[in-house]
Amino acid sequence: MGGPVHVKIPKSCKITPMKPSHILISPARMLLVALLVVFSLYSMYQMVFASMHIGDTGSERLDLWEADMQLIRESLPLERGVVGYISEEDLEGVEFAFWDNETEFMLTQYGLAPLILKKGLAGEWNVVVLKEANLKQWLDANPGNYELIKVKGRFSILHDLGTP
Amino acid sequence: MTILSFLAYAPAIILGTLIVHWLLPDKFTPSILLKLSLGTGLGLGLSSIFYFISLQVAPGRVNMPVLLVILIVALVVIIYFQKGLEGLTPTRIPTMTWMQWGLIATFIACVALSAFVFANYVTSRPQGALDAWSVWNRAARFVHRDPENWIATLSPDLPLLRHADYPLLVPLNVAWGWDVVGNETLRTPMVQAGLFTFAAIFLLFSAIALTKSIGQASLASIVLIATSGIVPSGTSLIADVPLSYFILASAILMYLFTCENDFRLLILSGFMAGLCGWTKNEGLILIAASFFSLLIATSTNFKKALVYYLSGLLAPLAVIGYFKLLAPVNDLVANTEGGLIGNILDPSRYEMIFNSFLSGILKPGALFLFLYLLVLGFGATQTNRRGSAVLGALLVLQILGYGFVYLITPYDLSWHLMTSQARLIFQVIPLAIFFCFSVSMEPEKVFSSIIRRQTALRQE
Repeated sequence: MGGPVHVKIPKSCKITPMKPSHILISPARMLLVALLVVFSLYSMYQMVFASMHIGDTGSERLDLWEADMQLIRESLPLERGVVGYISEEDLEGVEFAFWDNETEFMLTQYGLAPLILKKGLAGEWNVVVLKEANLKQWLDANPGNYELIKVKGRFSILHDLGTP
Repeated sequence: MTILSFLAYAPAIILGTLIVHWLLPDKFTPSILLKLSLGTGLGLGLSSIFYFISLQVAPGRVNMPVLLVILIVALVVIIYFQKGLEGLTPTRIPTMTWMQWGLIATFIACVALSAFVFANYVTSRPQGALDAWSVWNRAARFVHRDPENWIATLSPDLPLLRHADYPLLVPLNVAWGWDVVGNETLRTPMVQAGLFTFAAIFLLFSAIALTKSIGQASLASIVLIATSGIVPSGTSLIADVPLSYFILASAILMYLFTCENDFRLLILSGFMAGLCGWTKNEGLILIAASFFSLLIATSTNFKKALVYYLSGLLAPLAVIGYFKLLAPVNDLVANTEGGLIGNILDPSRYEMIFNSFLSGILKPGALFLFLYLLVLGFGATQTNRRGSAVLGALLVLQILGYGFVYLITPYDLSWHLMTSQARLIFQVIPLAIFFCFSVSMEPEKVFSSIIRRQTALRQE
């Protein structure tokens, strides 16, 4: 009892003192792991918070457009092929917001799939997205033998009857 | 509709998981989460290929769930006769330290919160991002509404920027999902997006848990969920999360090959690489890059490795090749018209691309991860150097590939970088995180002195 305990160290086992760099790096590693967890949890909090405060995503307008496209689909007598698309872009001298116009074109294509939408008077059947005054201007600039089917608001279908 | 959509995809997930179970080495038998997360992507990729083939031979007349169930039954029989019932024993939860429990509990909490965030986003933005409805779901509608004339979705009359040439993995799954559910509910693309998002998270977790430790796996997955933006991106309902999943899956399987030297892993890695190209055109860069990585992965026996890798890659590659024959020319190629050489020789473009990538990559989170990698990677023992080199090569080559695409782009370079670069960087983030945590020291080792002291105190 109380005497020193002698442990025999094998020759193969070398005891080396810890390098000063290791003494420093070990707490640095612990700190980094802890900071990574804290940083990630803070980012997580921000993500959850952002998901609870999402602003207007335009999904209601998209749904409304979809509903209007449903009416156009029902009024169009074809289920395949190319359909023209007439909008403010086809009017000379009329200013329009390029991206708004482009988005409406894409939305119309999405709604009318599998019909292929092509800008301009592109076939026998054409979707028109124009206000009354602009439609009149387009008809004056592009005389022809047309049948106009009013669908709703700005939306109508132009049936190109060709030359009589 | 959500449950119905999930049930529609369930046979594909089961089939994929069974294929992974069949091909994975026996050592991986207890890794149910790894098999399930790999099987989800593999099954969805495979089902889109089956559906694509059915559109060529009997459009609209193949019942996908029935076909998948038949294949499941056949595979179960094959597996039973080859492997017996091994691997069906329940997995035991390993003994874990307090720190591992803490980290895994944090990871589970983050997954639960991710599901909440995912639900919030898809509820307030059910149609997804602009590209979701104008490219991916538009294509799905073309196929679903008129399968006999599905090729209309590749019409050159569609505007160039609506990308009629984009591969069809994502839209075809939506289309056949709608067939099964019976209407064009948005829940179907949402469920597919959720499956890819959470499969990517669980894939990262299970692969690192297998190769490193549970603490490291939890830490890496928490970082992926919280800092990469994978969950909000998933709710965009576009193909970037599926592509990032397939890039990660292919890389992980090649990494596992460097650990186990089992060539069957390369079949799966090749197939996943092929699915990258079947998901998005950027995936073709990964296919090219993967051959260099394969060269690194195999010190000897490259020919044998190549045979196995190609045996997985060829089926999706053949589908991509056939698809590209039908599809219109990509907008980047169509608009080049002789400006290609001029663009390549213009040094200001290199500078602009380099600076843009630098500012895109060097965000606070990424800088912190670089520091983490530097401090915890240095001196980490038991690092699979060959595997790390494979991951590093894939990462660097993929980014260089993106850089090359910007170099030759016919569009205004600053506009192109501004509108797409963030998405491209995102595609490799899960792989970058896997690389970072497969190289760096595990938290268990970092805190080993404290853990040892705690354990000793408890024993006393």
